[in-house]
Amino acid sequence: MTELYWDPYDKTIDVDPHPIWRRLRDEQPVYFNDRFGFYALSRYEDVDNANLDHTTYSSAHGTVLEMMSDQPYGGAHMIFMDPPAHTMMRVLVSRAFTPRRISGLEDHIRKICSELLDPRIGTGGFDYVQDFAALLPSMVISELLGVDPADREEVRLLIDKTFHIEEGKGMINDISFAAQIELNGYYTEAIEARRTAPRDDLMTALTEAEMGTDEGVRRLTTSEAADFTGLLVAAGTETVARLLGWAGALLAAYPDERAAVAADPSLLKNAVEETLRFEAPSPVQGRTLHSDVELHGTTIPEGSKVLLLTGSAGRDGRKYSDPDTYNVRRQFEGHASFGRGVHFCLGASLARLEGRVALEETLSRFPTWEVDHDRAVRLHTSTVRGYEKLPIVV
Amino acid sequence: MRIDVDWDACEGHGLCEDAAPKVFSVDDDGNLTYFFDGDEVPAEHENAARNAVGVCPVIALRLVP
Repeated sequence: MTELYWDPYDKTIDVDPHPIWRRLRDEQPVYFNDRFGFYALSRYEDVDNANLDHTTYSSAHGTVLEMMSDQPYGGAHMIFMDPPAHTMMRVLVSRAFTPRRISGLEDHIRKICSELLDPRIGTGGFDYVQDFAALLPSMVISELLGVDPADREEVRLLIDKTFHIEEGKGMINDISFAAQIELNGYYTEAIEARRTAPRDDLMTALTEAEMGTDEGVRRLTTSEAADFTGLLVAAGTETVARLLGWAGALLAAYPDERAAVAADPSLLKNAVEETLRFEAPSPVQGRTLHSDVELHGTTIPEGSKVLLLTGSAGRDGRKYSDPDTYNVRRQFEGHASFGRGVHFCLGASLARLEGRVALEETLSRFPTWEVDHDRAVRLHTSTVRGYEKLPIVV
Repeated sequence: MRIDVDWDACEGHGLCEDAAPKVFSVDDDGNLTYFFDGDEVPAEHENAARNAVGVCPVIALRLVP
């Protein structure tokens, strides 16, 4: 039996972390990594309970391991906040992401899919992530925000650059930083313009939304609204690209499942959920303990960094029967991949809609494909996992 | 069986309506209507209502036995 070791940085482990996660669930459900100084919870029930107990498991110190600190962030970044401040920020936009609001985007999403996929018909193959999965989400979020059509290509390229990763430096590098500053300038200008000429879009809604604070009701400053816009873009782009990439890879690996979905599009909704369970696009979420936690005979002390292994929770045999089988007809009541409780993924409706429509439009044009695994490239950060390049032969 | 709704926690995600359309409705703005507020959930809708409580992603619904 080899020594049981896991950390979120190791690229070799990341290729297939599931055997290690299974051992963590079975042998060390409260795992401690002394090299990087964090605990990890890997069972579904423990991850879910931690999501629901935001008072004990705080997000205010950051949620990505290399950016977690002893001190709270103190900014207005909703993902890195606890209630009640978190609640004030979240109500500003939660109504913009209701299922009915989001369902109004379906025709637009379908149209973008056609524009991206039609030129690929008869070409023999394309990169499912670079040429499709990575493009669709930023185009959709630009529509939702109200980015001018003339600016969308430029904005999309900038969004792409914000996700630039450098060996050894990860997400913190000059290319990403410069793109974030340029994008922030663009949002600032666009939001300022909406103060005098409101439109029917999310950037306008951010200028008009009111939040209750200790000092009374107030609106967001332009700088806060621009930061908020950047957050929505960052949260809604990369994760959906990874989800679609996983779907492209899994449906090729399980041709019977793909044939079932192609023959019966009513299975698509469940296929998206099964994909989210099977390979969580964001498999690791960090929390900081605000009090001691007693779990499985171990005391995790206050102040500890605790990583919630969302990707492991989806494979927990205590929750799911036959967890390592990808089954688009699986009957299940839910998964941990959008989280639960106060930080439940605000964009879940949008991600689900993009997933369903993208797969339907893919399968209607290309009912079968093969993945060129020799040329496929993985993408890995300490919080996101999936494919950067997924060449397919159609 | 009764259901307690935490109106402050509800964000209009609409999953309860999917699970129990005869018990919950969510409008375009995400505003929730609970058809049996203050009443017993009719026996024929109890299973659906129980599922709705289970799927609420922000834990705004609670069963009162």
